Amino acid sequence: MTTEQSSKEAVFRRQVRTWLKTNLPKGWGTPEYKAPERQSEAAQALGEQWTKTCYDAGYAGFGYPKEYGGIVRPDWEIRIIREEFALCGTPPGPMSQGLLMAAPTILRWGQEWQKKRFIPKILSGEESWCQGFSEPDAGSDLANVRTAAVRNGDDWVVNGQKVWTSNWTYADFGLLVVKTDPVAKRHRNLSYFIFDCNSPGFSRRPLKQMSGESEFGEMFFDNVRVPHKNLLGELNMGWYVALTGLAAERSGGFAVGGRSTARRGWGNMESIVALAKETKRYGKTVWDDPVFRQKIAQFAIEGEAMRANGALQAAMSRQGKKIDPNEVSVSKNFSAELRQRSDDMVMEILGAYSQMVEGSPLAVNDGDWVYGMLRWRGATIERGTSEINRNIIAEKILGMPREARSE
Amino acid sequence: MEYGTNEEQEMLKTMARDFLAKECPKTFTRAMMADKTGISREYWKKMADVGWTGLILPEQYGGSNMTFRDLSILCEEMGRMVTPGPFISTLVMSALPILNAGTEEQKQEFLPKIAGGQLIMTAAVTEMDGDFWPGAIKMQAYPRGDDFILSGTKSFVPDAMAADYFLVACRTKNTPDPEDGITLFIVNKDDWGIYVNPLQTMDETRKQYQVTFNRIAVPSKYIVGEVNKGWQIIKAAAQKAMALYCAEMVGGGEWVLETCVEYAKTRIQFGVPIGSFQAIKHHLANMYTQLEYSRGLMVWAAEAVKDNDPMADLAVSMAKSYCGDTFKMVTGLGVQIHGGIGFTWDHDMHLYFKRARALDTVFGDANYHRELIAKYYD
Repeated sequence: MTTEQSSKEAVFRRQVRTWLKTNLPKGWGTPEYKAPERQSEAAQALGEQWTKTCYDAGYAGFGYPKEYGGIVRPDWEIRIIREEFALCGTPPGPMSQGLLMAAPTILRWGQEWQKKRFIPKILSGEESWCQGFSEPDAGSDLANVRTAAVRNGDDWVVNGQKVWTSNWTYADFGLLVVKTDPVAKRHRNLSYFIFDCNSPGFSRRPLKQMSGESEFGEMFFDNVRVPHKNLLGELNMGWYVALTGLAAERSGGFAVGGRSTARRGWGNMESIVALAKETKRYGKTVWDDPVFRQKIAQFAIEGEAMRANGALQAAMSRQGKKIDPNEVSVSKNFSAELRQRSDDMVMEILGAYSQMVEGSPLAVNDGDWVYGMLRWRGATIERGTSEINRNIIAEKILGMPREARSE
Repeated sequence: MEYGTNEEQEMLKTMARDFLAKECPKTFTRAMMADKTGISREYWKKMADVGWTGLILPEQYGGSNMTFRDLSILCEEMGRMVTPGPFISTLVMSALPILNAGTEEQKQEFLPKIAGGQLIMTAAVTEMDGDFWPGAIKMQAYPRGDDFILSGTKSFVPDAMAADYFLVACRTKNTPDPEDGITLFIVNKDDWGIYVNPLQTMDETRKQYQVTFNRIAVPSKYIVGEVNKGWQIIKAAAQKAMALYCAEMVGGGEWVLETCVEYAKTRIQFGVPIGSFQAIKHHLANMYTQLEYSRGLMVWAAEAVKDNDPMADLAVSMAKSYCGDTFKMVTGLGVQIHGGIGFTWDHDMHLYFKRARALDTVFGDANYHRELIAKYYD
């Protein structure tokens, strides 16, 4: 790197750092800061506000063309912004499937008016999204969708039920996969729509999870009218549109260890080591127990393996080598399963205190560790179960024949 | 640190794969398993002719002056073919200590011959306790005139029968710090009083020996580095060797996976290929996944060693531990997926299975390296 470039970077880095200092919520990063309760309206408001503030300052909204509201900057600036944001552990964005699923899907399949109307407000955090795909009888077998739409004039009339909807609470818009052809063959009978969550006949309710909260919900469609112009991709080809979103969703990964990731987040190496050093079991510090040292070191190794593998793949794509899109199944499984292994390890460190949940005065770290363990039991189920991902790896990457199935 | 590969490295990989397919098929490897030295000089000369035996040595000593990452790419291909021979013993465990710590005379005398394929060497460090650590070095060397007299026994010495020279780690001073007081000597195998006894080890592609030195006189000019300061030199070489063993393990693991994928497509049971069963698919997916993450760590370790990165020791420990576990898991499943045929001597799978066991133990197994990693966080 030239000295000119490196001094340019240093100036920019200072600029980002100063901006963060002035704009982060008051008390952020100090013990005085009280985060809003999970899933609360206050949390949603903070997420929306924070994203809008970042977007208006040009610190969010990367990776999309300018005409759809994207913020275009040189790569090195984006890298520095991400590094500085990660260093502060900035507030999470709003609860929305917008950035993860809706924006990539609309960009890939959307009509021009859809791109112009929806993407900018996803990037700025002003509109929140959910996605209706899974149903009671369409879990791992996602193509088995029963919710049906019948054409009526310029609209489609939708009836049915969706389940396991993330970010259902505050969503303004939703992505919807419905059966539009009652007789056509599997994968040729579904269509993909954008729907307005304020439509008459649409209702939603929480689904209480084993972690006690309702991050997921259920959605009911009772003669909900969706305009035909809201179709994404071709009619009856919705399965293929959906695959884009599923791949994007899987690539999200889970927050786990490593040296350079999630410095402040839950479950990083430093916080686990700190916990092991301050926890005593049977009169001895956990960190001095060779069995725990082995387990924690293994976690450090696997966290670094994720980082190193990411660097390897980034280098390959820089060199123009094609990376199999099904690789997301590999990284999704690895990060989800590593997350659970580390949760289990932390529970072993906590011993009897691993039973104490949020609210108990005896709960360690206000029950965050235990909450994480419960919440991320879902990691190997949501976004494609570990088993389905293993099938994808074996069939799509390694070329194994498909199993005989009844259709 | 560059995780990607450049065009020359791609060429080296292709060339290595072609060379080994032609010169080192499994029939050759099996013949070497039955050979008491474990290597043919003719094959070794061919390797020298393509520039491998001096790959990372400077041109002034007849080497090809390539990078450590290049060497790691070559070792990946060698591991893929479970190649026999004292390649890492000679180039990394012996030539590098001479290059980095030896005198100009030593470099002139040994390095061009190593690069030219005329001279094979191995390091004799480990003793009867079987572990690579300074406290294990008990074999004594004491000064007599201008010489040192070496007496003792080294064990688990790789490639000793093939070697022309040994690099021997001896204790020359007893101090509370076991790292202090170790000296490295270059010893001619033909010296009277050296006894080389083969050990009956599982991995016959890479043989190990017990070597006894009975009052061997070594001139001071054959001391590598300073007297009493030899441990850091040999430890640095071991770090590099480990990074290369990781490459061998990833390469070997990929051969195993590819062989299993092929078998699962063609082996018919219950009227369908066994690869259509989820039980087999999930084994294969697990092998693929762990190999992929092993590769990430292996490349990181190779680059860190190449760049003399301050994280290099940590990177190597992480890679050695994870690649070691992965190669054992992958070769175990390799036997399992092949069923009865995988359990036979005639199938090549057991060569990889045994190589995995051998490589896991060398220079500290996965557990040992995990403890080293934990120490970083103490």
